[in-house]
Amino acid sequence: MKLDISVLESLVERARRRSAAFADTRAVWSEGTGIQCQDGRADKVGRGSSFSACVRVLLDGAWGFASTDAPDRRRLEGCLDSAIEQARASRGRVRETGVVAEIPPARGESLASVEIDPRGVSLEEKLRRAAAYEKAARDRHGQTLVNTIVSYNDSWRREVVVNSRGTRVVTEQIRSHISAMMVARSAETRQSGREHRAALAGFELLDRTPPEELSIRAADRAVALLSARRAPAGVFPVVFHPTIAGLLTHEAVGHNAEADLVFSGMSILEGRLGSRVASEHVTIVDDATIPGANGSYAYDSEGTPSARRVLVEKGVLKKFLHSLETAARLGATPEGSARADGAHSLPIVRMSNTFIAPGESSLEELLAPIGTGVFLSGGQWGYVFCERGQFVCNAAEGWMIRNGKLAEHLRDVSVSGMTLKALEDIDGVSREFELSMPGTCGKSGQGAPIAAGGPYVRVKELVVGGQEKS
Amino acid sequence: MSPGRRKGTRRGAGGSGDIAKLAELAVEAAVSMGADFADAEAGESRSRSVSVEKSSLHATSDRSHVGISVRAVVKGATGFSGENRLDREAAVECARRAVEAARLAQSDPDFVRLPAPEAFEEVPGLSDPAVRELGVPALVEMLLAEVESARAVDSRFSVQAGATSSWGLSAFANSCGVRHVREGTYVSCHVFPTLKDGSDVGSYWDFDSARRLEDFSPAGLGRTTAETAKSFLGARDAPTGVFTVVLGPLAAHGLLTAVAAAAGAEGIQRGRSFLAGRLGERIASEHLTIVDDGLVPAGLGSGALDGDGSVRRRVTVVEKGVFREMLHSLYTAEKARRRGEPARNTGHGSRGGGVSPTNVRPALGAKTAAEIISEVGDGIYVNSGGVSPNPVTGEISASVDFGFRIERGRFAWPLRNTMLGVNVFELLKAVDAVSSDCREEPGIVMPTIRAGGVRVSGRGG
Repeated sequence: MKLDISVLESLVERARRRSAAFADTRAVWSEGTGIQCQDGRADKVGRGSSFSACVRVLLDGAWGFASTDAPDRRRLEGCLDSAIEQARASRGRVRETGVVAEIPPARGESLASVEIDPRGVSLEEKLRRAAAYEKAARDRHGQTLVNTIVSYNDSWRREVVVNSRGTRVVTEQIRSHISAMMVARSAETRQSGREHRAALAGFELLDRTPPEELSIRAADRAVALLSARRAPAGVFPVVFHPTIAGLLTHEAVGHNAEADLVFSGMSILEGRLGSRVASEHVTIVDDATIPGANGSYAYDSEGTPSARRVLVEKGVLKKFLHSLETAARLGATPEGSARADGAHSLPIVRMSNTFIAPGESSLEELLAPIGTGVFLSGGQWGYVFCERGQFVCNAAEGWMIRNGKLAEHLRDVSVSGMTLKALEDIDGVSREFELSMPGTCGKSGQGAPIAAGGPYVRVKELVVGGQEKS
Repeated sequence: MSPGRRKGTRRGAGGSGDIAKLAELAVEAAVSMGADFADAEAGESRSRSVSVEKSSLHATSDRSHVGISVRAVVKGATGFSGENRLDREAAVECARRAVEAARLAQSDPDFVRLPAPEAFEEVPGLSDPAVRELGVPALVEMLLAEVESARAVDSRFSVQAGATSSWGLSAFANSCGVRHVREGTYVSCHVFPTLKDGSDVGSYWDFDSARRLEDFSPAGLGRTTAETAKSFLGARDAPTGVFTVVLGPLAAHGLLTAVAAAAGAEGIQRGRSFLAGRLGERIASEHLTIVDDGLVPAGLGSGALDGDGSVRRRVTVVEKGVFREMLHSLYTAEKARRRGEPARNTGHGSRGGGVSPTNVRPALGAKTAAEIISEVGDGIYVNSGGVSPNPVTGEISASVDFGFRIERGRFAWPLRNTMLGVNVFELLKAVDAVSSDCREEPGIVMPTIRAGGVRVSGRGG
C-alpha cells in the first residue's frame, strides 16, 4: 500500500490551480494487534491494517472535504473533484467564511522512538504477557473474581500532511495499551475494578507495568469495593486524587479552552481572555511535547508543530487551543491543536496532555481543615456542557473525609459542578503530581488519545450524586 | 425466502455480487488454511455530512469506505483480521492472518459452531434509494432551514447543528452456508441552539433520524429545540432530598436500554451484569414490560440476521416487572444448554462475541405523560441525563443534564447542577407509571416513566 508523497503534492497543486485559497491532503497508514484474555483464556486475537487518505479545500470561503480507503491517484483526484464541488455548492450559504492562519510552512519528519517495536515481537509473546497479567490477578483473589479481562493493543501509525502553503510533514507513532477489568462478587454484591496504561511506547510499556500496578491493583479494588458503602448525597468539600484531578481539568476547563467552541459562542470562557477565571492556586497546562505521554505528538493533523501551552496561569486565562482556522478567526498563533482520528475525519481542536500544575501543599495539609468531605480517586468518565459550564466526573471509588482524615471507603460516584464556580473554589493544590490518566477523548464523533493528571486538588464544594442521606 | 440466501441487486462500485464473492473467497481461503469454521464480511459505504457552527454553514464532507474482515476458528479458538481494501488479495490475506491468530488463541470449550442457515425473511424498509441519493446540497438546505427555524424563535440564538446521510452494502458469508447481503441507509439531523442572556444560558440538544426519507421529519426540529432551550434560561439549583422523579422519553430510553443491555447473556454468564442470577425474579414494578424487537420494519436497530449470522427474534426481556428472557447469541445459547439451562438463540450476537439489544420497545401504560406529571406534587423532571446504571453494580449516579423542578403538577423552574443517586432495582421497582403516549424513533418506543423515592442532590435550599 504505497503512495508517493509527490501524488499528494500534485493534488494540492491541482487544487490551487482550481482556485482553492487553501488545500491540504493527508494519507494515514496504520496497523495493529489486539489480544483479549478472559477468564483464563486468550479468547480474542486479532490483527488489522488500514490505509486511507483525504483532501480538504477552502474555495471562496467555503470548505469541502472528501476521503477514501485504499487511495490511489485516481481515487484521490475523485476526492479533489468532490471537495471542490462541495465548496462551490456551499459558498453561497456560508455566513462566517472559512479562513486559515498564515504561518510558515512546516517541513519535517517525526519518527517513532520506542525501545521495543511491537511489530518485532511475536504474537505468542504478546499473548503470553497478557495472560500473565490476568493469571496474577486470579492467583491473588481466586474465586472472589467472577470475571477477569486483560486486553492488550499495539498500533503503528504514519500520517503524511501536505498543504498548499508548502507544509509537508510526516508523523509516525507507535502506541501500546494494556488494560485490566476485574469483577468481584460476594453474595448479591458485584463490584468492578479497572486499570490501564497507554503511552507512545513500544512493548517496553509492559516491562514498566508490573501486574501489581495493573491487574492485581484492579482486582484489589474490585474486592475492596465489595465492602465499601454507598456515597452520600449532597454538597461537600471534595479532594481529587491525581487520577481524577486530570478528568476535572479536562472536562471543566480543557474543553472550554478549545477555540472552535469559543468562536461559536459555546464556551463559558468566551470573552474572558486575560481575565481571572480561577483561584490563584490554578495553573493549567496543555503540553503535547511530553516524551512518551499518551497525548503527545510532534505535528498536528494540519502539519503545525505541537507546543506546550499554558492555558491558565495563577487563575488568569492566558490562551486557547487552536486550529489554523480558529487562530485566524481569533487573531492567535496556531500551536498545533488540530487533530483528526484518521483520514476520514476533519481536523478539529483537541487537547493533548492536560493538567493542573503542582502547588505547595501536601495531601495531609489539603485534608486537614475538612470536617466532613469526600475524597475521590480513579476518574472513569466525564462530560461537560461547555456553553453553560456544567460538568460531571465519575470516580471509581472514594473515601469519606472526617476530621481531616480518610475514613469509610465509598463505591463509585459522580460529582457535578459549574465550571467557573468550581475553579474559583479550588483552594488547595498539592506538590505531589502524577500524569497518570491516559485515555481517549471523544468529540464530534472522533476519538483522540490524550493524557491527564495533576496534583491532589481541593474544591470547597461540589454536588455529590450519592445515595445516602448526608 | 429460501434459507440463508438472498439474491443481491447490483449496486455501487463493486456491486453486491462482487462483494459476496469476496466474502465467500475469504471464507474458503480460511477453511483451506485450516480453519474449522470461518466467516467474512465485505462491504462498502458512503456518507455525506454537513455541519453548522455559530449558525453558519461550516464544513461539508463526502467519505467512501471499503473493507473486509474475517473470523477464523481453529480447534475452538478464534482469530480476527480486518483490512480496508476490497480485492481478492485482501480477502486471502485477511483469511491468512485470521487463521494465524486463531492458531495462537486458546480453545474455548464452550464454542460449538457458527450459525447454520435458517429460513428468514428480510426486514423491509432498511434501505431507501432517496436517502442514498441525499447529497451535500440537499443536506445543506435541510439543515440551514432548521437553523433558521431556531433563530426565528429568538435571533440571539447561536446554533450548532449537523446532518448526515449514509448508505452501506455488505455481504456476509460463513463456512456453514449462511449467505446474506445487507443494504442499509441512514439519515440524521441534530440541532443545538444556545441563547446567552447576560450570564444566563439556555440551551438544548435534539435530533431526528431514520432509515427512510418518509420516516424522517426534521422540519420544525430547530424551532421546538430552540423553544425548549429558551425554557432553560433562569436555571436554579435543586434542593437535596428524596423526590418523585419523572424521566422524559430520552432519559427513560437511556435507562431501559441499559436494562436491556444488562440482559445480554454474555455479561450474565460471565458474572459482570447486575442482572446475573436474576432470571425469573421480579426486578421492576408490574408497570414495566420491555421488549427487544430487531425485526421492526425500517427500525433503526433492525436486521434479519445478527452480526453472527443468526436469525433475529423478538424477545420479551421484562414482563410486568419480571425478568423473563435474556438476549442470546448462538454462542451464549449453546453455553447455557451445556450447563443444563433452558435457552434459545435470540439472534443478538456480534462477530466479536458480544450480545446487545436492538430496538427497545417498552409497553405503554394508561396515562398520558401530561397526566403523569400533573399528579406530582413535588418532584424532578429529567429531559435528558446519564440515567444509566453501572453495568456491573447497578448503581446510578447521574447528572440531570436538562431537567425541571415539578411543583404542584407543573414545571416550576429549570434545573442546573443537579444529580440523582439510586440503585437500579430500587428505581425500577419504584416505577408507578409508564405513559400511554411516547416519542418514537423508527423501531424505538420512548415513553415517559415515573418513580418515587429517588435521592436528589443539589445546592438549592
